[in-house]
Amino acid sequence: MKNKTLSKTSMIVLIAAAMMIVLTIFMPWWGMKFYAPQYPEGLDIIVYPTTLAGDIDIVNGLNHYIGMSLFSNESFPELAYMPYIIIGIAILTLAVAWLRRKSFLYGLISVYVFAGAIGIYDMYRWLRKFGTELDPKAPIELEPFIPPIIGENVIANFVTHSYFTYGGYMLGIIFILLIFPLWKDRAK
Amino acid sequence: MNLKRILSAVFGIIAGLLVAFVFFADLNKDDNAASENKSKAEKVYVPYGELDEYYMLASGGHSGQLFVYGIPSMRKIRTVPVFTPDPATGYGYDKASKEMLGDYTWGDFHHPAVSETEGDYDGEFLFANDVGNNRVAAVDLSTFHTVDMMSLPNMGGPHAGVFVTENTEYIALPTRFARPLAGEYASLDDYEKEYKGVVSMATFDRENKEFDLAYQIMLPPWSYDLSDAGKKMSSDWIVMTTYNTEFATTNLEINASQNDRDYIVLVNWKVLEKEVAEGNYNEVNGAKMIDPRDHKGAIFAVPVAKSPHGVDVTPDGTRFIASGKLAPLMTVFSFEKAFAAIENENFSDEKFGIPILPYEEVMEREVDPPGALGPLHTQFDDKGHAYNTMFISSEIVKWKIDTGEVIDRIPTYYSPGHAAAAEGDTVDPDGKWIVALNKIAKDNFLSVGPSHPESMDLIDISGEKMEHIMAVPVDPEPHYAQIIHRDKINPVKIYEKDEKRENAVWKQEDAHIERKGDEVHVYGIAMRSRFVFDAKADRPDAVTVKEGDRVFFHITNIDLDQDITHGFGINDYDLNFEVQPGQTSTLEFVADKAGTYPIYCTNFCSALHQEMSGYLLVEPK
Repeated sequence: MKNKTLSKTSMIVLIAAAMMIVLTIFMPWWGMKFYAPQYPEGLDIIVYPTTLAGDIDIVNGLNHYIGMSLFSNESFPELAYMPYIIIGIAILTLAVAWLRRKSFLYGLISVYVFAGAIGIYDMYRWLRKFGTELDPKAPIELEPFIPPIIGENVIANFVTHSYFTYGGYMLGIIFILLIFPLWKDRAK
Repeated sequence: MNLKRILSAVFGIIAGLLVAFVFFADLNKDDNAASENKSKAEKVYVPYGELDEYYMLASGGHSGQLFVYGIPSMRKIRTVPVFTPDPATGYGYDKASKEMLGDYTWGDFHHPAVSETEGDYDGEFLFANDVGNNRVAAVDLSTFHTVDMMSLPNMGGPHAGVFVTENTEYIALPTRFARPLAGEYASLDDYEKEYKGVVSMATFDRENKEFDLAYQIMLPPWSYDLSDAGKKMSSDWIVMTTYNTEFATTNLEINASQNDRDYIVLVNWKVLEKEVAEGNYNEVNGAKMIDPRDHKGAIFAVPVAKSPHGVDVTPDGTRFIASGKLAPLMTVFSFEKAFAAIENENFSDEKFGIPILPYEEVMEREVDPPGALGPLHTQFDDKGHAYNTMFISSEIVKWKIDTGEVIDRIPTYYSPGHAAAAEGDTVDPDGKWIVALNKIAKDNFLSVGPSHPESMDLIDISGEKMEHIMAVPVDPEPHYAQIIHRDKINPVKIYEKDEKRENAVWKQEDAHIERKGDEVHVYGIAMRSRFVFDAKADRPDAVTVKEGDRVFFHITNIDLDQDITHGFGINDYDLNFEVQPGQTSTLEFVADKAGTYPIYCTNFCSALHQEMSGYLLVEPK
């Protein structure tokens, strides 16, 4: 019976995880840096869960040459409801901490992993859409391409680096925090 | 017998010397010179990826422009148009700069002055005088664009400006030529009575980037050559050299060189400022004119060797040094001694109502290096040395201010006017480089025929001995320059996006055309690589007007990206201007020629620059 409840330590860890989840709303999650001979300092696209930041106008200005659609907050409806999803998961986490039931924690971890998988699929979907649905009338014709979620890619004179950043790292740490009680309160 | 012995001894010694010379003489002079040149080259080589340590801001003389150089590389970085239209940047073509220039097509820019705080360059603005057309201009050093210009009434060429007071309270511009007020007609026979020498005291509002003519000082019809503002203890004063105290009205070369002594005029601007504030002035052609002779303590003069040229205040502000030009010596005057004479009303004479201070008592020393001829200007280092250019003997002389001891002399190629040392006219000179701004280049560079470039020598003054590093050609004609450390200048990279800016359009889809009677206003954008004049039109980059319409192209460059400048030229209409990233400019003209005129981007902007074009269609009446 004892194994079905979570210890006090686990509860605190879960509360910390919930707080971190809320914090990620204010952190950049993912980014892409563009380097070219003319841009040795690099151009940035930085993705927060609520907004895009960086040199969006300049990147859009350059992308029109290859017929890529415009990036803007409006082009990603997810940005509008991401905070609700994040807060929802934080509340779920707090609830699990409150109830201290191990089975609920399994459920929470499943939700978290599922949301993460959906998120990554969603990013892939957008990257594919932007990279492959190029305007055929664009002045520079390019083979459709799918920028990687992590890593390097070469497009014309640009080398792009995609990477997860602070918010992304925090999501990883949160995941560890979520599975920590499973180890802490494991059957002995 | 003896003779034979002596002869053989002499031959023996000669043979010995010959052998010694052959075996031991240093015949590797070329190698030495080569390694010397190599170390000189290393001093000025700025590798790719690094930047020069200093800006040199040089006047462009009668080109009317400002030249920006990097020091020590001596690379020319940019020409900044100030008094003269410049098609490359559209300066004088777009509406704002066209109105600022008026109908003038040239200027004669002699002396740049960077704005100062506590006697040191603050790097915010640069002021420029136009000796040709009596104007003063301000260049904003955050954009290197000319932002304001003011015409100065009652002047005859403000050659002796510009210099700024310690905290840029005033930008002073004394006249070169005496002239009747407002430049009205008056016979040269009435020179002494009708002609005046006027000093303009301008102020500059940094917030609104605007000049104001605070007041003008009426002086005798002498010619004012150069001047400087006091520093620290002497900060209330300005000093000016005079020539033609003979009141010559013809053949000045001879007739203005007769008196053994001319004067340095000392004016207390604090006293005058107070009097003007109290209303003690006359309105003359829109200027508040004050006669300093009417106000005790406002003006004095001290005799100086004839026809002096430059006068420069030492970094600590305790002395001013006059360069003799025709009397080949530098005269060091003491402000302290001058103030004491003023205090004790110890005047040797009065000239034109101006109390004259006794030369012997105010002068501290005369410095007369043998053979050094034609001293014109003085710069300073951080170790108490003065550096004087010698026009006639073509050299720079380094000497100690405290003792007059000559430390070193170095030739320049050829005939320097001013020199500019690194921050060498401030309260805090750097003592690193001096650039001689020479008037004659002769065979220094590849020949381009009879019209020669001017020449500049870069000289390292960091050691006890000066070291000539190199000579560099320059377009006519830098008179004076200032060398300012790069950390003091903070330029912006692009113009900030200002949603409220008049006539600006920031989105392609907002571009539109408004017609009001015979005025056509195009609110358009330029971006890589298109113009959009009317977003809703079938052809957004074509504009149709009627012959005789007054057309306004208000163009905003919405590429907020460094160095993406767009030009805008209209074929056959003799029109071109530029918009920098984030800038909005207006081109106004009357479409007085019917026909079809291609419009195109004139500043290569992108891979599809060639395609960045449109049409102006002018329907015949």
